[in-house]
Amino acid sequence: MMERVTYLYPEIALFITTCIVMIVGLSRELKHRKLCAPISGLGLLAAGVLATGLVPGFHVATGAEVDPTAGQILLPNLVPYAKVLVAGVGILLLLLQAGTVDRVEEARIASGRAAFNPLRSNRAEYYAFFLFSLTGLMLCASADDLIWLFLALELTSLPTYIMVTMSTSRHSSQEAGVKYFFLGALGAAVFLYGFTLLYGATGSTNLNQIHHAIAAGGLSGLSLAGMLLALLGVCFKIAAVPMHFYTADVYQGAASSVSAFLAFVPKTAGFIAILLLASCAGWTHGAGDSLPDALRTVLWVIAALTMTVGNVLAIWQNSVKRILAYSSIAHSGYMLVGVVAGPGGGTFATSGIAAVLFYLLCYGVMNIGTFGVLACLEGRAGADGEPAEIESLDDLRGLCQRHPVLGWTMVICTLSLLGLPPLLGFFGKVPLFTSAISAGEIPLVVVLGLNSAIAAFYYLRIVGSCLLEKPETTTGIVRVTPFGSRPAGALASAAGVIVLAIFGNGFMAASEKAAAYDGGHVEKKEPRAAGVPETAPQALGPAKAEGH
Amino acid sequence: MDSPILATTDLSSYLPIVLVVLMAVGFAMANIVLTMLLGPRRAGRTKGMTYEAGMNPVGTARKRFNVRFYLIAMVFLVFDVEIIFLYPWASTFANLAPGSDQSLVWLVRILFFLFTTVVAYLYGFRKGVFKFD
Repeated sequence: MMERVTYLYPEIALFITTCIVMIVGLSRELKHRKLCAPISGLGLLAAGVLATGLVPGFHVATGAEVDPTAGQILLPNLVPYAKVLVAGVGILLLLLQAGTVDRVEEARIASGRAAFNPLRSNRAEYYAFFLFSLTGLMLCASADDLIWLFLALELTSLPTYIMVTMSTSRHSSQEAGVKYFFLGALGAAVFLYGFTLLYGATGSTNLNQIHHAIAAGGLSGLSLAGMLLALLGVCFKIAAVPMHFYTADVYQGAASSVSAFLAFVPKTAGFIAILLLASCAGWTHGAGDSLPDALRTVLWVIAALTMTVGNVLAIWQNSVKRILAYSSIAHSGYMLVGVVAGPGGGTFATSGIAAVLFYLLCYGVMNIGTFGVLACLEGRAGADGEPAEIESLDDLRGLCQRHPVLGWTMVICTLSLLGLPPLLGFFGKVPLFTSAISAGEIPLVVVLGLNSAIAAFYYLRIVGSCLLEKPETTTGIVRVTPFGSRPAGALASAAGVIVLAIFGNGFMAASEKAAAYDGGHVEKKEPRAAGVPETAPQALGPAKAEGH
Repeated sequence: MDSPILATTDLSSYLPIVLVVLMAVGFAMANIVLTMLLGPRRAGRTKGMTYEAGMNPVGTARKRFNVRFYLIAMVFLVFDVEIIFLYPWASTFANLAPGSDQSLVWLVRILFFLFTTVVAYLYGFRKGVFKFD
């Protein structure tokens, strides 16, 4: 028992930070209240450092017996990777959060028009919820039990509902919050029902034992139903197709800084959950290296639909936030390709799991840049004193001329989302392609390629607005936010897009290591079946290495 | 005990439940009957009103009332949940071998848990939940 607590040190560090932030954020002195963000940053840093110290892999069970206390041994190396990733991207996200809540209230206090009223101040809660959500996300990675996984997913999601609602005082935020909450509750109910069916079919809530039961007895009708419902529910978290309807409204209604948070945190939690559930079913079916047929088909369809729907709907949007929301749906579709591809040969180019894990990092970094630029820009202050959000493409016209740094950040990050070769998004997408090719999913690769082409249309629209068009003088005034850490966060993200593309080898190696999947606690996996193109990844391997 | 589920073979295991149900129904009936027999009857306007959680049910529905009521209820909930977690800890703590080096670890863990409750109260205090004016 003792050794398992050590795996929770990052979460415990974050939790203690949350406790401190909750108290400090309610101080009467402004300079104390302002400490919330630095303390959160330190906590995330501490959690990240603690996570690097985690030695992955508990003792691996052998033979027929599965030790229910063994910890998460399906994807054991995922634990430190995911936690370091969360801490790192969490710090970038934290930079964007400055001034999201209490802006008007603090201005009133500073001008002496109001005294500090703890009941009106939201800063403490906001940062506490931010950290709680990240704690839940970290917990997802080490989940070895359905109940643990459920609680971790909910701990990730519940604070986000409130963060959406309190992020601005506009009605649309409240609408978004309510919509997000009710659909989120529906999603939670669906995957919880799936979990109960899985428990009913396999007789255990322990993931290792479920894996054992499925590997030994095959996927029965009941466990398949459970697995499908669970996946469907988790599709809500990653904004994949049958559960994607909330995405655009919620991302648009929330403040840009919160939208950036929504695009990374619940999505990562969802993908970790999907990877864990899929590894329960195991990529040991079919020719020996794919998911059970029904599961594979459903994930295949969801992946294809998700990227197509996301990309096609994004074309019709004029609000940048809605475009990015649909792009976030599309990117979920891309990543699902990696889940379908499975662990493959285990190398970076052939492992779909490694591709998903690396893409989560890429998406997290480049997405913060785009939402970050939106968070940096603000319109005229409304009647409530809160500046209007920058939303439409018109507001971005000529951004590169007016604010070159922000404009180029937007251009670089958008091109990276598009997957333009020298940037990070490209190196994220390549392994998705190669892993799917090596798994023999050629039609899915074609869909993926077509979608990347469709996506070019709307990404280039954003780039064109920023880069090519003249600044608009007639539409409202667009100013840069007074909060310095927001541009810093956006800039750090753009820098990350370039730097990681050049020096990303370490991260690729880390994600390859994190994706280590041993499908054979029960039966050793057969070598790759003949007929699956073995040459493709090898041919691509050296070519990609040259790129660095 | 062949069957894993006792209740399917032995209906008498339901007897305590039946007894509790009977007691509950009996208690409720007895109270109503006793009130009818013994209670005084003083009808009045206020008493005849619909009961609405202690508020006046007539008038505008958009009346404001003090939100502190809910805050107090929530602060109580923290305490309540804490107690629930203390019971399993207390009942397992006794199973540790006397003088075990684990006992200190266990004590520190539950103290950490209690500390988080203190944080909740501290938060409530700073938020002004306990300020009655």
